[in-house]
Amino acid sequence: MTDTAPIAVALRGITKTFPGVLANDDVDLEVRRGEIHALLGENGAGKSTLMSVLTGLYQPDRGQILIGDETGSLRPVTIVSPRDAIGLGIGMVHQHFKLVPTQTVAENIILGMDGVPFVLDMGSVEADVAALSERFRMPVPVSAFIWQISVGEQQRVEILKALYRGAEILILDEPTAVLTPQEAAEVAATLRALAGEGKAIIFISHKLDEVMTVADRVTVLRKGRNVATVDVGATDKHRLAELMVGREVATTIDKDDGAIGPVVLRIDGVVARNDRGIVALKDLTLEVRAGEILGIAGVAGNGQRELTEVATGLRRVEQGTVTVDGEDLTNRPPVRFIDAGVSHVPSDRLGRGLAGNLPLADNMAMKAYRRPPIAAGPMLRRDRMRAFAGDLIERFNVDTPGPDTPARNLSGGNQQKAILAREITAGTWARERGRRPVLIAAYPTRGLDVGAIEDVRRHLIEQRSGGTAVLLISEELDELMMMSDRIAVLHGGEVMGVVAPAETTIEELGLMMAGEMRR
Amino acid sequence: MRRLKRWMLLLAALAIVAAACSSGSTTTTAAGGDTGGDTGDEMTEPLQVAFVYVAPIGDLGWTWAHDQGRKAIEDQFGDQVETTFVENVPEGPDAERVIRDLAQKGNDLIVTTSFGFMDPTIAVASEFPDVEFVHISGFKTADNVSTVFGRMYQPRYLSGIVAGAATETNTIGYVAAFPIPEVIRGINAFALGVQQSAPDAVVKVVWTNTWFGPPEEKEAAEALLASGADVIAQHQDTTEPQKAAADAGAVSIGYDSDMRAFVGDTVLTSPVWNWGVEYVDIVQQILDGTYTGGFQYWGGMDDGIVDLAPMSPMVSEETAAVVEKARQAIIANQTDVFCGPIEGANGNMVVDDGKCLTDGEMLSMDWFVAGVEGEAPAEAPTGLGE
Amino acid sequence: MNLPYRVTLEKRLDAPRIVVWLVPVVSILVALAFGAIVLAVAGADPLEAYGQILTGAFGSLTAWLDGEFYAVSETVVRTVPLILTGLAVAVAFRMRFWNIGAEGQLVFGGVFAAWVALFLPGVIPGIPQTLWVYLPLMAVVAVAGGAIWALIPAFLKAYLDVDEIITTIMLNFVAILTYQYLFTGPWKDPEGQGFPGSALFPEFTWLPRLTGRVTLGLVLALAAAVVVWLIFDHTKLGYEIALMGENPEAARYAGVNRAGIIIVVMVLSGGLAGLAGFTETAGISHRLQQGLAIGNGFTGIIVAWVAKLRPGWIVVVAFLLSALFVGGDQLQISMGLPASIGAFFQGMILLFILGGDVFTRYRVKVARRPAAVAVEG
Repeated sequence: MTDTAPIAVALRGITKTFPGVLANDDVDLEVRRGEIHALLGENGAGKSTLMSVLTGLYQPDRGQILIGDETGSLRPVTIVSPRDAIGLGIGMVHQHFKLVPTQTVAENIILGMDGVPFVLDMGSVEADVAALSERFRMPVPVSAFIWQISVGEQQRVEILKALYRGAEILILDEPTAVLTPQEAAEVAATLRALAGEGKAIIFISHKLDEVMTVADRVTVLRKGRNVATVDVGATDKHRLAELMVGREVATTIDKDDGAIGPVVLRIDGVVARNDRGIVALKDLTLEVRAGEILGIAGVAGNGQRELTEVATGLRRVEQGTVTVDGEDLTNRPPVRFIDAGVSHVPSDRLGRGLAGNLPLADNMAMKAYRRPPIAAGPMLRRDRMRAFAGDLIERFNVDTPGPDTPARNLSGGNQQKAILAREITAGTWARERGRRPVLIAAYPTRGLDVGAIEDVRRHLIEQRSGGTAVLLISEELDELMMMSDRIAVLHGGEVMGVVAPAETTIEELGLMMAGEMRR
Repeated sequence: MRRLKRWMLLLAALAIVAAACSSGSTTTTAAGGDTGGDTGDEMTEPLQVAFVYVAPIGDLGWTWAHDQGRKAIEDQFGDQVETTFVENVPEGPDAERVIRDLAQKGNDLIVTTSFGFMDPTIAVASEFPDVEFVHISGFKTADNVSTVFGRMYQPRYLSGIVAGAATETNTIGYVAAFPIPEVIRGINAFALGVQQSAPDAVVKVVWTNTWFGPPEEKEAAEALLASGADVIAQHQDTTEPQKAAADAGAVSIGYDSDMRAFVGDTVLTSPVWNWGVEYVDIVQQILDGTYTGGFQYWGGMDDGIVDLAPMSPMVSEETAAVVEKARQAIIANQTDVFCGPIEGANGNMVVDDGKCLTDGEMLSMDWFVAGVEGEAPAEAPTGLGE
Repeated sequence: MNLPYRVTLEKRLDAPRIVVWLVPVVSILVALAFGAIVLAVAGADPLEAYGQILTGAFGSLTAWLDGEFYAVSETVVRTVPLILTGLAVAVAFRMRFWNIGAEGQLVFGGVFAAWVALFLPGVIPGIPQTLWVYLPLMAVVAVAGGAIWALIPAFLKAYLDVDEIITTIMLNFVAILTYQYLFTGPWKDPEGQGFPGSALFPEFTWLPRLTGRVTLGLVLALAAAVVVWLIFDHTKLGYEIALMGENPEAARYAGVNRAGIIIVVMVLSGGLAGLAGFTETAGISHRLQQGLAIGNGFTGIIVAWVAKLRPGWIVVVAFLLSALFVGGDQLQISMGLPASIGAFFQGMILLFILGGDVFTRYRVKVARRPAAVAVEG
């Protein structure tokens, strides 16, 4: 890549408003052929909106999109649908893959294409796909079904799908979020190879390390504005973080040694199946003690979800026991876990943690509505519910117009703060009843901006130091290393080992996550 | 995707349900009686006559036949009358409102043409003593409420003779609405007619439990055809059974109006209502000032309110002659349909030789005669008739 | 696609308040304008027709000055069952439980009430045969009838996860056929000369009339609306129903007992529909006969939906819809138009109101294509 390479795509002065929100404010972006261009920004900075404009999902209020040819001469285009975008050589790989699990790799690649004949010659399609995968050194089993292949392979299928449609400009939305460190490195190599072929790559991320190692140039968005476009060689991580957040940020956290108490949450020899009926936890045993953070490392989909559900009563256990503070709660309903002092920050905020259309007050009362003063016999005191929510909003610094705002209108960080406030408060009630609380936090910082991440981490540490048994599931190994007292690594529903952060390395954790090592 | 599918399902379900829940008409029998009396009533304005129909006129059956009666009044009296009608009035709380509305709008005579309109008619009539009401097929009367119905079993018997002559499989299908006396009486009369020309033939009955249900009527006819019937008769409000028979290459007997006009010559004949006969008579009496309400009328073929439609060319002349002879005998009051010996479906001798059923026994008939296959509400008794 | 522009719908994040109010008003105006064209084509003067609909539904000023409120009282008669079925549907829909079975539940309520009126005096002669004993008894039994009928799909959903749309629809047919069997068979009036229909209820089981044909049922329906409002907004149950409806996963997470709440909600929903069966039999027909299942259970779905499941609005929408039905009859009675025109007109108004909702959730964008792309395309 050189600065003189022809421009592949240029966005000029893009402005897009939603009622009450200025999502993109006069944003410029230029991506050259053969370049990996990172789009960096906190959640809500306008990255997704900008890319939605480029791929035809949204129409900009103002601004222009220009596409360049080999010589770099630009022409304005209007993109009113994803189909238009594909026609112009713009391909997108979403964070959540849009593949059909019951179809083969080759079938997924031609799915939805124009001009596919009614009677398919799958043999020739598979040959084409195989040739393409060879050319870009992205091995995929072309005739395998999607459900049979790994997450890393699925991502390659998504990329090949875009290339098969003639994509010259490839957009990837947080491509490493679901991968092991090793797989992430492979993706980086793939992107490098694609850039070498002259493709223009736009790479959305909020992970500074990744941006520094993969990208050539970075455009930083903050609050809908383009605050800088810089060469990666001419900047550093700290500087990028400042551009992204708009202020100085701390990258470490203070943590005392704490006083580790008795075992509170005990999962003993548990076997459980996932929603598809496949065994997802295989004879899993874990203990979380009062006053410690037990970190769970692992690639997403290796039993984390089932583990949190087993520990909160949301999933049936086929074998083994779940004990909380000495009380056997195996296969008891969720409300018994709540009563026993088990709090839960779920991985899917709007899928499980909140009812997005309901007011924030209703959401914050999800654990409190059964108890006085909010409950008064069968009645519900709305005024007290609002007051309760108002109190938590203030104490936990939730940024919202008020308790009546629907929860979905809050930013991700504030939604997470609201959930934390609710769950931590429920833990204090358990303590009042003389129980040792448990806090299960699944990916609590995922998708949050730097400021919110700091807040969340501080709260978790505070709970630990107050004697709560904390189970922390995360995909950020840095976070686990920094926060945990011990780290358990999950692979294929089994614990590959439990290690102290001081006695291990990211590489060792990566090997355990890949199932290639036990400790 | 799943969400969308659910919504589609929901919408489809609503569509089915909306189609299925359109309510039908109810008709039943009425007791016999006589017209007569005189009242003075000066007419300067045209006489306003309103009809309340339970189904759309487009049913080509029950309601259509009543509307022919309405037109007969218009043809007969021209400027002396003004007629209106309200169609598709369900037999629920709406009926009373519509009837009252018509009374308030100054109608002089209101005809309500479904059994289910009986109570609302009586209720409204008590509030409007100066308005005359005629209710079809009911049994309640008041000073200003008369009931009108016809001895449909007579032409049904004749149509049975035609059907018996036509069947080759000795199996005749009968699509019937509800197991109530009016319908059962029709089936029995029909079966007795069939046995005149085909002594071994059976009449298979399928209940649809709806008066106005084109899909159900069609399905019932198809089921009967599939089980070997080669003639289809019916007691419904539409022409669907006739169409189903024609589609299957079979012949049929219509009902209500001459259904040959709508379906074709495969409809051999139809027992028909000539409501105009009685409607014209009533209007004439009102115009003459000789009308007295509160009567019960159950007329037969001798009055012309019921009759058999002209034969299709597919009916042989011999059969037509036999039918005409029987018709004349009934009109001349030499015989009637339900005269002994009549054997019940269970083998009981219901009516002994030399006896005939009384009107009361006919009006509460709930058993089948021999040769009818199907579910009747009751077993055939013994020793009826006088 | 060679058009120089393309119209697309874009989801709104938040509908401005003005849009929420403007859309239904504009929808109705557009529907009326469209209806005027249809009426004109059918050969009627649209303005006269609309005038007739209004007076048919609400009466005229001169009639009011004479103290004559017959028209509007008839609209109220039609409103009562619609309020109750609208509430029944709303309670279930609030939880995203698609109870399409209000019709059958209403019928069962009517059947149960009819049993009390027809047979209880014979079974237990000791019960005082007065209004104030029998009416509450019939109401309670009717509620139980509707609730029992609603419990079948509730149990199937709660414990076997059987789709409630299918079961509730199918049970409508079972209920209606059962009811027809009863009044044409075993419950047939012994003195009715074999005609379909039960005997007339004894007079001490008739709902007292307030005015015209408006009975105490109106008070019951309004009270039910208040109770449902209280449940929705001021009870733990209402909170759990809303939570289940908005996000069942979150409800489970919050410790709500899914099966239990499904059963409670369907008892409520079926009970309200059953109560409508009571007001219609004890208040209007005074016997079991054809005409109880005239679609109120299905119209209740429209009422609840247009009212966005809010009890107060259900009362208002039920009244306006009744006015449309009652006034719409005038297209036949006074204008001499066929029944199908009236039904078409009513259907169109509803279609516009429900269809207009799209514009509260989406906004329309027109994108122009520059010449370069248009040539290429």
